Amino acid sequence: MTENTEKPESSCDARRRILNIAVSTVLLETGFESSDRIALETLTEVIQCFFTEVGNSAKSYCELTGRTEPVLGDVMMALINMGISVQGIEQYAARPKRHVIQPPQQASVPRT
Amino acid sequence: MQMSRIGSPSVGMDEDSGAGHALSDFLLQLENYNPSIPDSVVAYYLNMAGFESQDPRMIRLIALASQKFLSDIANDALQHCKMRTSSQINQSSKNAKGPKEKKYVMSMEDLVPALQEYGISAKKPHYYV
Repeated sequence: MTENTEKPESSCDARRRILNIAVSTVLLETGFESSDRIALETLTEVIQCFFTEVGNSAKSYCELTGRTEPVLGDVMMALINMGISVQGIEQYAARPKRHVIQPPQQASVPRT
Repeated sequence: MQMSRIGSPSVGMDEDSGAGHALSDFLLQLENYNPSIPDSVVAYYLNMAGFESQDPRMIRLIALASQKFLSDIANDALQHCKMRTSSQINQSSKNAKGPKEKKYVMSMEDLVPALQEYGISAKKPHYYV
């Protein structure tokens, strides 16, 4: 994925940068050669919202049943309620040539 | 798929329960599976929303679901892109440089209709550079 613009603002957020890489990976797998900056950022925002929304919704379903730890059913309900199809997820997981992004390095917190 | 379910509701019900079983089996498989997005990143965003799970499989499932969602959107955008570029090529077939060198670029033009199909309305801001 070619990107020649510098990213001064995203360098401050390591997680957002990883989401950026993840989006780029998916786009490359789909068959795109490159991407506009704005489209990439939009998709990054979409995926970030996705996580937040799933988390929020699954937590609500979990608390509705009086539990504190979400179970599979809560997550499934959240996904289905959002209209995300969970049908082909197994096939998607088993797709060939998938790329795994290295997790960010954990900086040790200085003790004070 | 929706149509077939309407046609035969009982079969659809069976499929649903089958999918449920398959998913709980699938969750067990996720024990030794690494999605593209690192667990820690997904967990961070989930924790921001108040979702806290000790089970890494749940986080992996969400990561996979998000990736599939994104992949579906990207696929739609690619189809839009292909249609748009093929019509352009047909228009300017006089000075054809060879259809082989096709490079697909993800642009807002293709992304906006693809997102619209998934219920996300995006607009290109005028000021974004």
